[in-house]
Amino acid sequence: MSAQKKKAFQIEAFKHRVVVDPKYAEKTWKILEHAIHEIYNHNASGLSFEELYRNAYNMVLHKFGEKLYSGLVTTMTSHLKEISNSIEAAQGGLFLDELNRKWAEHNKALQMIRDILMYMDRTFIPNTHKTPVHELGLNLWRDVIIHSHAIQSRLQAILLENVRRERSGEVIDRGLMRSITKMLMDLGPSVYQDDFEKHFLEVSADFYRLESQEFIESCDCGEYLKKAERRLNEEIERVSHYLDTRSEVKITNVVETEMIESHIHRLVQMENSGLINMIVDEKYEDLGRMYCLFRRVSNGLVLIRDVMTSYIRDTGKQLLTDPERLKDPVDFVQHLLDLKDKYDKIITSAFRNDKTFQNALNSSFEYFINLNSRSPEFISLFVDDKLRKGLRGVTEEDVELLLDKVMMLFRYLQEKDVFEKYYKQHLAKRLLSGKSVSDDAERSLIVKLKTECGYQFTSKLEGMFTDMKTSQDTMQGFHASHGSDIGDGPMLSVQVLTTGSWPTQPITTCNLPAEILGICEKFRNYYLGTHTGRRLSWQTNMGTADLKATFGKGQKHELNVSTYQMCVLMLFNDADRLSYKEIEQVTEIPTSDLKRCLQSLACVKGKNVLRKEPMSKDIVDTDTFLFNDKYTSKFFKVKIGTVAAQRESEPENQETRQRVEEDRKPQIEAAIVRIMKARRVLDHNNIVAEVTKQLQSRFLPNPVVIKKRIESLIEREFLERDKGDRKLYRYLA
Amino acid sequence: MKKEDTVKLISAEGMEFVIDKEAAMVSQTIRNMLTSPGGFAEAEHGEVTFPEISAVILEKICQYFYWSLQYSRFGFFIFYFLGSVSCFFFYEFIFGLV
Repeated sequence: MSAQKKKAFQIEAFKHRVVVDPKYAEKTWKILEHAIHEIYNHNASGLSFEELYRNAYNMVLHKFGEKLYSGLVTTMTSHLKEISNSIEAAQGGLFLDELNRKWAEHNKALQMIRDILMYMDRTFIPNTHKTPVHELGLNLWRDVIIHSHAIQSRLQAILLENVRRERSGEVIDRGLMRSITKMLMDLGPSVYQDDFEKHFLEVSADFYRLESQEFIESCDCGEYLKKAERRLNEEIERVSHYLDTRSEVKITNVVETEMIESHIHRLVQMENSGLINMIVDEKYEDLGRMYCLFRRVSNGLVLIRDVMTSYIRDTGKQLLTDPERLKDPVDFVQHLLDLKDKYDKIITSAFRNDKTFQNALNSSFEYFINLNSRSPEFISLFVDDKLRKGLRGVTEEDVELLLDKVMMLFRYLQEKDVFEKYYKQHLAKRLLSGKSVSDDAERSLIVKLKTECGYQFTSKLEGMFTDMKTSQDTMQGFHASHGSDIGDGPMLSVQVLTTGSWPTQPITTCNLPAEILGICEKFRNYYLGTHTGRRLSWQTNMGTADLKATFGKGQKHELNVSTYQMCVLMLFNDADRLSYKEIEQVTEIPTSDLKRCLQSLACVKGKNVLRKEPMSKDIVDTDTFLFNDKYTSKFFKVKIGTVAAQRESEPENQETRQRVEEDRKPQIEAAIVRIMKARRVLDHNNIVAEVTKQLQSRFLPNPVVIKKRIESLIEREFLERDKGDRKLYRYLA
Repeated sequence: MKKEDTVKLISAEGMEFVIDKEAAMVSQTIRNMLTSPGGFAEAEHGEVTFPEISAVILEKICQYFYWSLQYSRFGFFIFYFLGSVSCFFFYEFIFGLV
């Protein structure tokens, strides 16, 4: 260190020793070349790293970097050529082995060389934009060996052959395959793809195309799917063991295309084993497999859904138009519920609760349930049957389950107002005859309907229940105050019904027997005493009576009959034989009702408390009726009433339909007025659309009917037509 | 210090410096020398000879190794340490470019 007194400390650039020896570069290079040879010949131990590093460093420093680099390239290339020869010489199975071994050795040598030439790698190469040593080594390997004419095709062929062997069930050396594919990936993604992957995918496509053709000729749908699934899993496993992960998507694509997509239609429609058969036979496992496999293919699920939907619609349509089935509504509805259950189960267990399938199922049910205009009636009859006797002894949870299922069918109905009408009728009959099995079940269903359709729907139904309760209280009051008066007379039980809540009944004439009239008057006075300003009218067509009858040999029976029948039978207390005309005159019961009631009294086996002359089936005006003292029955109590809810006959059905149509008219008009009041001016199509939208929760309005209602409103000056545009309507305040 | 944890650095004059391996590995070049596969003499015997580095310099370098280990977390600017001009050359030689 030079003595520097008070001068500032300076750092000078170092002056390198100038090289004088002209052969310096050559000599230094020779040392390095020799070292590289030794490295490739596995003789590296004993070399001094420091010496080699220093030599390389010096070469670069003294501007001989170019010579060093090109020398490196030449030396490496010649070594690789030797290696290439030895690999080519390898026979058969040893080829891959040899290639793998030489590759590992090359990598090791490359690392050592790079370590020695680190200085060049870091200074000379970036400056001259040449390829770094490691990359250089890989590129040379790729060019000299992998892409050498002899080796390239042989390598590809052997790799693909191995895959083929494994696919036919042989065991191959997976570790070796792994190393080779890894080598290809290290050499660059394009090498892996071009030299191997591309051909692999092509060959696989051919292989699977052939195999799928074979399978589909020989297997049924279920078996084929099993095989396809197995091959798919095999390929995924193969990728995980010895291929690049990015190949997984590509190879699964190939399998999906060849094995599934190209045969998709044939599979679904295969006779005796296709989709429809699987559904019918409830093969959940096969269906689940089909779902998983088809999911991988575009439009696979769409196809399943479409086929299933059209099948459901067809079976549904068949069910609904089959006259045999329609004879028993309860059975019919039960069938519908069973059908729904079946498909629900398929969707949950095999189709993984897929929402699109649920929707398809719902829309199909909606479609065919509404094909038959009597569906609302039938559903109401089903409920009626259940609430009368079907739910006896069933646990509360099961009751809830059943009611929920019924609600589900209800939701599919388009004409909910028709259902309402029938339900009211059936409920009225149930309540009045006291035949409901469980009051809780009834109320539960009302609540469900209220949740679904709103308060309006159920207000009248609830009114009916209230009336029943109130009547009970009234009767208690009546008996408390008049109990002593009755004594031996007939026992009266009255239900007072509010007219608005109950289904409208035509008022019928009927002359009650004298014994009854007395007590009826007493009740009327009692009731009007407590509730002034009300009007009571007796509904003689809805009542029942219990009569004690003594027959010829003294056998006593208790007869449960309708009010009409009671009137008729009481007449026979005073006379043994009466003609039809006489009966009609005294009782003043309407003809059709009278005929029906006489029929059930005289013509039904086991209940013929009256005899008819002549003994024909039908009642004619000229018939005569006699008291049948030879009547016998096993039971003490005999029920002769005809009060149960029946499937309507055609004319009755027409009548109800008409009433429903009449009811709809004001609803449509109200909707039109509501809309026009808000919008002021609107054209015809839009009105129709809006009205439909508003009313769709109750029924589907007919556009023709809407048009008529609009015209009626125009007549009544609620709306007017626009002067310029005939299709436009204006609201008149 | 255990034998396995140490390396011997030998200067041009033959002076030997025995230091921890961890310290020596501060230098990327020495690290490569010791960890390169293939069985170079240095790794085999655990000795590195520097025929062109004098003992004085080599001593400074060893001191630097330990200093660096101690203060490496503070990221000190390396040049603050060097007091000698000739060190710059050997710095480049031994450490490559940082």
